[in-house]
Amino acid sequence: MAKSNPPFMSGVPELLLLRLLDNREMYGYELVRSIKAATGEAISLGEGVIYPVLHSLERNGSLKARRKPVGGRTRVYYSLTKQGRGRLQDLQDDWRRIQQGIETALESPGHA
Amino acid sequence: MREPDFNDLAARLMQSGIAPRHAHRTVQEIRDHYDDLVDAALADGATSQTARRQAAHELGRIEDLVSEMSARRELKTWAFRYPRAAMVVYPLACLAVLPAAPVNAGIANAPLLARWGASLLAAGLFTGALLLVLQLLILFG
Repeated sequence: MAKSNPPFMSGVPELLLLRLLDNREMYGYELVRSIKAATGEAISLGEGVIYPVLHSLERNGSLKARRKPVGGRTRVYYSLTKQGRGRLQDLQDDWRRIQQGIETALESPGHA
Repeated sequence: MREPDFNDLAARLMQSGIAPRHAHRTVQEIRDHYDDLVDAALADGATSQTARRQAAHELGRIEDLVSEMSARRELKTWAFRYPRAAMVVYPLACLAVLPAAPVNAGIANAPLLARWGASLLAAGLFTGALLLVLQLLILFG
Protein backbone atom coordinates (compact mmCIF):
# COMPACT_ATOMS: atom_id res chain seq x y z
CA MET A 1 0.00 0.00 0.00
CA ALA A 2 2.88 2.35 0.63
CA LYS A 3 4.04 2.04 -2.98
CA SER A 4 1.55 1.81 -5.77
CA ASN A 5 2.10 -0.49 -8.71
CA PRO A 6 1.77 0.86 -12.23
CA PRO A 7 -1.22 -0.44 -14.23
CA PHE A 8 0.91 -2.78 -16.38
CA MET A 9 1.77 -4.67 -13.19
CA SER A 10 -1.74 -6.09 -13.19
CA GLY A 11 -1.52 -9.86 -12.70
CA VAL A 12 2.14 -9.77 -11.63
CA PRO A 13 1.50 -10.06 -7.87
CA GLU A 14 -0.66 -13.11 -8.53
CA LEU A 15 2.03 -14.75 -10.66
CA LEU A 16 4.77 -14.04 -8.11
CA LEU A 17 2.72 -15.27 -5.17
CA LEU A 18 1.79 -18.51 -6.93
CA ARG A 19 5.40 -19.06 -7.99
CA LEU A 20 6.76 -18.56 -4.47
CA LEU A 21 4.08 -20.72 -2.89
CA ASP A 22 4.91 -23.48 -5.35
CA ASN A 23 8.08 -24.06 -3.31
CA ARG A 24 6.63 -24.05 0.20
CA GLU A 25 3.82 -22.65 2.35
CA MET A 26 4.31 -19.10 3.62
CA TYR A 27 2.49 -16.30 5.45
CA GLY A 28 1.95 -12.73 4.26
CA TYR A 29 4.99 -10.99 5.72
CA GLU A 30 7.23 -13.84 4.59
CA LEU A 31 5.81 -13.60 1.07
CA VAL A 32 6.47 -9.85 0.79
CA ARG A 33 10.06 -10.38 1.91
CA SER A 34 10.48 -13.29 -0.50
CA ILE A 35 9.16 -11.25 -3.43
CA LYS A 36 11.65 -8.48 -2.66
CA ALA A 37 14.50 -11.00 -2.37
CA ALA A 38 13.50 -13.07 -5.42
CA THR A 39 13.16 -10.03 -7.70
CA GLY A 40 16.25 -8.25 -6.37
CA GLU A 41 13.90 -5.55 -5.01
CA ALA A 42 13.00 -4.64 -8.62
CA ILE A 43 9.43 -5.41 -7.71
CA SER A 44 8.44 -4.10 -4.34
CA LEU A 45 4.77 -4.65 -3.71
CA GLY A 46 2.82 -2.46 -1.34
CA GLU A 47 2.79 -4.62 1.75
CA GLY A 48 -0.95 -4.60 2.46
CA VAL A 49 -1.83 -5.20 -1.19
CA ILE A 50 -0.98 -8.88 -1.06
CA TYR A 51 -3.81 -9.79 1.34
CA PRO A 52 -6.66 -9.03 -1.07
CA VAL A 53 -4.73 -11.00 -3.73
CA LEU A 54 -4.15 -13.94 -1.38
CA HIS A 55 -7.80 -14.01 -0.31
CA SER A 56 -8.97 -13.88 -3.92
CA LEU A 57 -6.64 -16.73 -4.88
CA GLU A 58 -7.96 -18.75 -1.97
CA ARG A 59 -11.53 -17.95 -2.96
CA ASN A 60 -10.99 -19.21 -6.51
CA GLY A 61 -9.38 -22.40 -5.23
CA SER A 62 -5.77 -21.69 -6.23
CA LEU A 63 -4.58 -21.49 -2.63
CA LYS A 64 -5.58 -22.97 0.67
CA ALA A 65 -5.06 -21.25 3.99
CA ARG A 66 -4.45 -22.75 7.41
CA ARG A 67 -3.76 -21.26 10.81
CA LYS A 68 -0.57 -22.35 12.48
CA PRO A 69 0.72 -21.21 15.90
CA VAL A 70 4.30 -19.93 15.58
CA GLY A 71 6.22 -18.08 18.28
CA GLY A 72 3.15 -17.10 20.28
CA ARG A 73 1.25 -15.86 17.23
CA THR A 74 -1.23 -17.68 15.04
CA ARG A 75 -0.03 -17.23 11.49
CA VAL A 76 -2.14 -17.79 8.41
CA TYR A 77 -0.08 -19.94 6.08
CA TYR A 78 -0.92 -20.24 2.38
CA SER A 79 -0.11 -23.17 0.14
CA LEU A 80 -0.72 -23.99 -3.50
CA THR A 81 -3.50 -26.37 -4.54
CA LYS A 82 -3.54 -28.56 -7.64
CA GLN A 83 -5.78 -25.97 -9.29
CA GLY A 84 -3.27 -23.29 -8.28
CA ARG A 85 -0.46 -25.17 -10.03
CA GLY A 86 -2.53 -25.18 -13.21
CA ARG A 87 -3.19 -21.46 -12.83
CA LEU A 88 0.54 -20.83 -12.27
CA GLN A 89 1.39 -22.74 -15.44
CA ASP A 90 -1.14 -20.69 -17.44
CA LEU A 91 0.15 -17.39 -16.03
CA GLN A 92 3.77 -18.36 -16.69
CA ASP A 93 2.94 -19.24 -20.29
CA ASP A 94 1.08 -15.95 -20.77
CA TRP A 95 3.89 -13.98 -19.17
CA ARG A 96 6.59 -15.62 -21.36
CA ARG A 97 4.55 -14.97 -24.50
CA ILE A 98 4.10 -11.29 -23.59
CA GLN A 99 7.77 -10.97 -22.62
CA GLN A 100 8.85 -12.51 -25.93
CA GLY A 101 6.54 -10.20 -27.85
CA ILE A 102 7.85 -7.12 -26.09
CA GLU A 103 11.47 -8.18 -26.59
CA THR A 104 10.85 -8.70 -30.29
CA ALA A 105 9.23 -5.28 -30.53
CA LEU A 106 12.09 -3.63 -28.65
CA GLU A 107 14.72 -5.26 -30.84
CA SER A 108 13.05 -4.28 -34.11
CA PRO A 109 10.89 -1.24 -33.37
CA GLY A 110 10.31 -0.58 -37.09
CA HIS A 111 8.11 -3.65 -37.31
CA ALA A 112 6.27 -2.95 -34.10
CA MET B 1 2.80 8.62 9.52
CA ARG B 2 0.12 7.92 12.11
CA GLU B 3 -0.12 4.43 13.65
CA PRO B 4 -2.78 2.46 11.73
CA ASP B 5 -6.14 2.08 13.42
CA PHE B 6 -6.93 -1.63 13.20
CA ASN B 7 -9.89 -1.44 15.55
CA ASP B 8 -12.51 -0.43 13.06
CA LEU B 9 -10.93 -2.11 10.02
CA ALA B 10 -13.15 -5.22 10.23
CA ALA B 11 -16.28 -3.07 10.51
CA ARG B 12 -15.23 -0.92 7.56
CA LEU B 13 -14.51 -3.98 5.43
CA MET B 14 -17.87 -5.53 6.28
CA GLN B 15 -19.65 -2.23 5.61
CA SER B 16 -18.17 -2.34 2.11
CA GLY B 17 -19.61 -5.83 1.64
CA ILE B 18 -16.60 -8.02 2.45
CA ALA B 19 -17.60 -11.38 3.93
CA PRO B 20 -16.97 -11.51 7.71
CA ARG B 21 -14.49 -14.40 7.50
CA HIS B 22 -12.30 -12.46 5.04
CA ALA B 23 -12.69 -9.23 7.01
CA HIS B 24 -11.68 -10.73 10.36
CA ARG B 25 -8.79 -12.70 8.91
CA THR B 26 -7.48 -9.65 7.03
CA VAL B 27 -7.43 -7.67 10.29
CA GLN B 28 -5.47 -10.43 12.00
CA GLU B 29 -3.02 -10.70 9.11
CA ILE B 30 -2.50 -6.95 8.77
CA ARG B 31 -1.99 -6.59 12.53
CA ASP B 32 0.58 -9.41 12.53
CA HIS B 33 2.28 -7.90 9.48
CA TYR B 34 2.55 -4.55 11.25
CA ASP B 35 4.01 -6.24 14.36
CA ASP B 36 6.55 -8.07 12.15
CA LEU B 37 7.57 -4.77 10.52
CA VAL B 38 7.98 -3.14 13.93
CA ASP B 39 10.06 -6.08 15.18
CA ALA B 40 12.27 -5.92 12.07
CA ALA B 41 12.84 -2.18 12.48
CA LEU B 42 13.66 -2.61 16.17
CA ALA B 43 16.10 -5.38 15.28
CA ASP B 44 17.77 -2.92 12.86
CA GLY B 45 18.33 -0.56 15.78
CA ALA B 46 15.41 1.86 15.36
CA THR B 47 13.78 3.41 18.40
CA SER B 48 10.29 2.24 19.31
CA GLN B 49 8.69 5.40 17.90
CA THR B 50 10.71 5.30 14.67
CA ALA B 51 10.01 1.58 14.26
CA ARG B 52 6.25 2.17 14.54
CA ARG B 53 6.34 5.11 12.14
CA GLN B 54 8.42 3.14 9.63
CA ALA B 55 6.12 0.09 9.93
CA ALA B 56 3.03 2.24 9.35
CA HIS B 57 4.66 3.75 6.27
CA GLU B 58 5.60 0.32 4.85
CA LEU B 59 2.14 -1.05 5.52
CA GLY B 60 0.44 1.92 3.90
CA ARG B 61 -2.95 3.50 4.33
CA ILE B 62 -5.83 1.48 5.71
CA GLU B 63 -8.15 3.29 3.26
CA ASP B 64 -6.15 1.80 0.35
CA LEU B 65 -6.51 -1.70 1.76
CA VAL B 66 -10.27 -1.21 2.17
CA SER B 67 -10.60 -0.02 -1.43
CA GLU B 68 -8.40 -2.91 -2.73
CA MET B 69 -10.58 -5.43 -0.89
CA SER B 70 -13.81 -3.73 -1.96
CA ALA B 71 -12.77 -3.90 -5.61
CA ARG B 72 -12.78 -7.72 -5.41
CA ARG B 73 -16.31 -8.95 -5.95
CA GLU B 74 -15.41 -12.54 -5.06
CA LEU B 75 -14.61 -11.50 -1.46
CA LYS B 76 -18.03 -9.96 -0.92
CA THR B 77 -21.07 -11.53 0.68
CA TRP B 78 -23.77 -13.04 -1.47
CA ALA B 79 -26.12 -10.12 -0.79
CA PHE B 80 -23.55 -7.60 -2.04
CA ARG B 81 -22.74 -9.64 -5.13
CA TYR B 82 -26.38 -10.11 -6.11
CA PRO B 83 -28.23 -7.18 -4.48
CA ARG B 84 -31.37 -7.50 -6.62
CA ALA B 85 -31.74 -11.21 -5.87
CA ALA B 86 -31.11 -10.50 -2.18
CA MET B 87 -33.92 -7.94 -2.15
CA VAL B 88 -36.31 -10.66 -3.32
CA VAL B 89 -34.93 -13.64 -1.41
CA TYR B 90 -34.44 -12.04 2.02
CA PRO B 91 -38.04 -10.86 2.54
CA LEU B 92 -39.32 -14.26 1.32
CA ALA B 93 -36.95 -16.07 3.66
CA CYS B 94 -38.15 -13.90 6.54
CA LEU B 95 -41.76 -14.77 5.75
CA ALA B 96 -40.87 -18.45 5.52
CA VAL B 97 -39.21 -18.55 8.93
CA LEU B 98 -41.94 -16.47 10.59
CA PRO B 99 -44.00 -19.54 11.67
CA ALA B 100 -40.91 -20.91 13.36
CA ALA B 101 -40.66 -17.85 15.62
CA PRO B 102 -43.02 -19.18 18.36
CA VAL B 103 -41.19 -22.54 18.33
CA ASN B 104 -37.85 -20.76 18.70
CA ALA B 105 -39.24 -18.63 21.50
CA GLY B 106 -40.48 -21.80 23.22
CA ILE B 107 -37.07 -23.45 22.95
CA ALA B 108 -35.38 -20.32 24.25
CA ASN B 109 -37.74 -20.15 27.26
CA ALA B 110 -38.04 -23.91 27.86
CA PRO B 111 -37.65 -23.85 31.71
CA LEU B 112 -40.26 -21.11 32.07
CA LEU B 113 -42.65 -22.96 29.76
CA ALA B 114 -42.10 -26.21 31.72
CA ARG B 115 -43.00 -24.48 35.01
CA TRP B 116 -46.02 -22.86 33.41
CA GLY B 117 -47.15 -26.23 31.99
CA ALA B 118 -46.69 -27.97 35.35
CA SER B 119 -48.71 -25.25 37.13
CA LEU B 120 -51.47 -25.54 34.55
CA LEU B 121 -51.55 -29.33 34.95
CA ALA B 122 -51.65 -29.10 38.76
CA ALA B 123 -54.47 -26.54 38.62
CA GLY B 124 -56.40 -28.75 36.19
CA LEU B 125 -55.99 -31.82 38.37
CA PHE B 126 -57.04 -29.90 41.49
CA THR B 127 -60.14 -28.45 39.78
CA GLY B 128 -61.03 -31.86 38.32
CA ALA B 129 -60.68 -33.53 41.70
CA LEU B 130 -62.81 -30.81 43.35
CA LEU B 131 -65.53 -31.18 40.73
CA LEU B 132 -65.44 -34.97 41.14
CA VAL B 133 -65.89 -34.67 44.91
CA LEU B 134 -68.77 -32.26 44.46
CA GLN B 135 -70.38 -34.54 41.91
CA LEU B 136 -70.05 -37.53 44.27
CA LEU B 137 -71.57 -35.49 47.11
CA ILE B 138 -74.53 -34.59 44.90
CA LEU B 139 -75.05 -38.21 43.85
CA PHE B 140 -74.58 -39.94 47.22
CA GLY B 141 -74.80 -37.12 49.74
